[in-house]
Amino acid sequence: MSTQSGVNLGSTVATPLSRPSRTVFEFDKMSEAPKDAPFQAVQIDALVILKIARHCSSTFPTVATGSLVGMDQNGTLEITNTFAFPTIDTSAADSHQNDASNLAAAAPRAKSNIAYQAEMIRHLKEVNVDANNVGWYTSATMGNFVTMAFIENQYFYQKDNDKTVALVYDTSRSSQGTLALKAYRLTNLFMNVYKEGKFTTESLQKSKLSFRDILQEYPLAVHNSHLLTSFLHQLPAPPAATEPKEPTSLSDLNNDRIKAPLYPSIDNLDLSIDPFLEKTCDLLLESIESHYVDLNNFQFYQRQLAREQTKITQWQAKRKAENAQRTLAKQPLLPEDEWQRLFKLPTEPSRLEGMLNAKQVEQYSKQVDGFTANISSKMFAVRENLLPQ
Amino acid sequence: MAAATERFLHLARPLAHTNIGLQTNIAPLTVQIQPQAVLSILDHAVRRDVRENSQSTRVIGALVGTRSEDGTEVEVRSCFAIPHTEEEDQVEVDVEYQKNMLALVLKASPRESLLGWYTTSHELNSFSALIQNFFAAPDTGTFPHPAIHLTISTEPGKDIETRCYISAPVAVNAERAAESCLFIQVPHKMLYGDAEKSALEAVASARDVESRTAPLVSDIESLGRSIEQTIGLLDRVSEWVNGVLDEDVEPNNALAQYLMSALSLAPKVDASQIEHDFNNHIQDVLMVSYLANTIRTQIDLSQRLATANLVSNEKEEGKNDGEKGGQRGNKRGGRGGGRGGGQQREPREPREPREPTE
Repeated sequence: MSTQSGVNLGSTVATPLSRPSRTVFEFDKMSEAPKDAPFQAVQIDALVILKIARHCSSTFPTVATGSLVGMDQNGTLEITNTFAFPTIDTSAADSHQNDASNLAAAAPRAKSNIAYQAEMIRHLKEVNVDANNVGWYTSATMGNFVTMAFIENQYFYQKDNDKTVALVYDTSRSSQGTLALKAYRLTNLFMNVYKEGKFTTESLQKSKLSFRDILQEYPLAVHNSHLLTSFLHQLPAPPAATEPKEPTSLSDLNNDRIKAPLYPSIDNLDLSIDPFLEKTCDLLLESIESHYVDLNNFQFYQRQLAREQTKITQWQAKRKAENAQRTLAKQPLLPEDEWQRLFKLPTEPSRLEGMLNAKQVEQYSKQVDGFTANISSKMFAVRENLLPQ
Repeated sequence: MAAATERFLHLARPLAHTNIGLQTNIAPLTVQIQPQAVLSILDHAVRRDVRENSQSTRVIGALVGTRSEDGTEVEVRSCFAIPHTEEEDQVEVDVEYQKNMLALVLKASPRESLLGWYTTSHELNSFSALIQNFFAAPDTGTFPHPAIHLTISTEPGKDIETRCYISAPVAVNAERAAESCLFIQVPHKMLYGDAEKSALEAVASARDVESRTAPLVSDIESLGRSIEQTIGLLDRVSEWVNGVLDEDVEPNNALAQYLMSALSLAPKVDASQIEHDFNNHIQDVLMVSYLANTIRTQIDLSQRLATANLVSNEKEEGKNDGEKGGQRGNKRGGRGGGRGGGQQREPREPREPREPTE
């Protein structure tokens, strides 16, 4: 195991010696190309998957968030345990629903939760659980997780510790049959730009940051302990290949039904996934709407800018004419750069919102592709079944 | 479910403690356990301290979950480990730790409460009774509800068995009351909802792999796997039916009846109707996919246009118009006029209002 960073909340693993070298290392990497990720893959324990699934679906549709603990080993980030963040009491402050969901989404970087996390990790350490924070998780509905809150949370974690990851559990899609769990990290390039906090056209051109470079997905693998493997073999499995005992009557069969195996699951053979497609389309429309708002903002800025510029040109022309007259009248000239004080150019709106929106749209349309592939293959199967040649 | 004990005859439920006035309900108690709790316990068992001198290798922890209003149904939702040491003649449980951890856990899930405790061996001894009485006590435990004791065997090479108990006080004598109680087994079952099914599937996919590790796959891959599995099962059935027809296999009335009733569920439909519906539907689906990708392309393009071409304004502009013209014939080019900063973003404007209507 490489030395875990000392900046981990509540972690006391790092020795004082390892700290300076680590800082230098991180500094170097920041200035390098975005290719060198601190880990190549993410490995997640079965326990973590179940805990996340449970927590996210129990709070649905409110966003659920929690903290991940684990360690990194030979380029693989192992996530071995997790715990939920306390929910924010929405009933006490009867705020608007929007505020409540915003609060829930911002939970991972709320002050009280940082303290909670530190305390929890300290307690987990006593029972031999890996006591390093390695990121956080959040729930999502149909892939709508690319938001400012997500970026801010992940930035908050990643700026202190490079080896942190954000897991996104898609509650709606997971209920359809296949687990939708993804691991993301902000790219180093984006981290640099975000640190400067400037998302103007000019700065984006300089850094060559596009919306594709915001998030990087990491391959996820599930890992079971030996004990768990033993347990899993007791759960319903696919029918054995050996000849079963023949039933004597119909009620025998009905009473002793074969339980559907967990793997491979037959749930995803369900034919009705159209609602998902519909919902994704709605979300896509929403994205277009926000794209449009963003665009209007920008056009407003442009008009403002143009107006100011015309004013300046006019003022300059006037001043020039005045000066020309003054030269003729042999009077001292008036300064010509006073316009910088008199007029103020509007500031350019941040490009970040637009970029996130673009990323979100990309996410949705990929999702639609996935659904389409699924549903069309199912439909062809149904047709072949109902219309034998 | 293997761990479920469904055929369980529950004759009488012991009354918790002596306070009969509080105990109005004598209905049997049913315990439901969610898989994440079991996984948590197994994880804890793997992470136990291995010490030379300690007698027992079992670990203990607390169970947290919900209780139905009348107290007859209990759902174990999660659990947390408690450090403890056991020696020849004494047992130490970190009570302070248990208190703090419970507060932390309840903070995150306020609707749950302490239910009882678990351990990882089936042995019930006087230490068990001591801990049980601690968890059932009024000030530190679950009183007036009975404390649940869950034992899970974690012996290597054997099946993992779960048992569930509640307790009743037994009076041996006053001095030994604290360390004696009567454990009574209660029925329990593993409960997994739809939410965990997909998670469990992913976990189970690593079951037969030597490295105990499996990558999470995409929707379409898992669909393919499910279809293959189903086709395999269908083949097996039709092979059996063919065997019966060829008089190779002994026919079986019950199986055939079952198959008949299953097959009669298949809908009778008009071929042309199906064809029509199918075509309609597939067109819709493909249309949605097409539109989604068009939108993606346009947003992508608009992002590129927003940042791409400030440097050499004149040249780039021409190129952009050409590019756009190439993609869609019906585009008018960027508006004329020499507004320096605004120029490169103008071309986006005419096409935007089209998108929401698509």
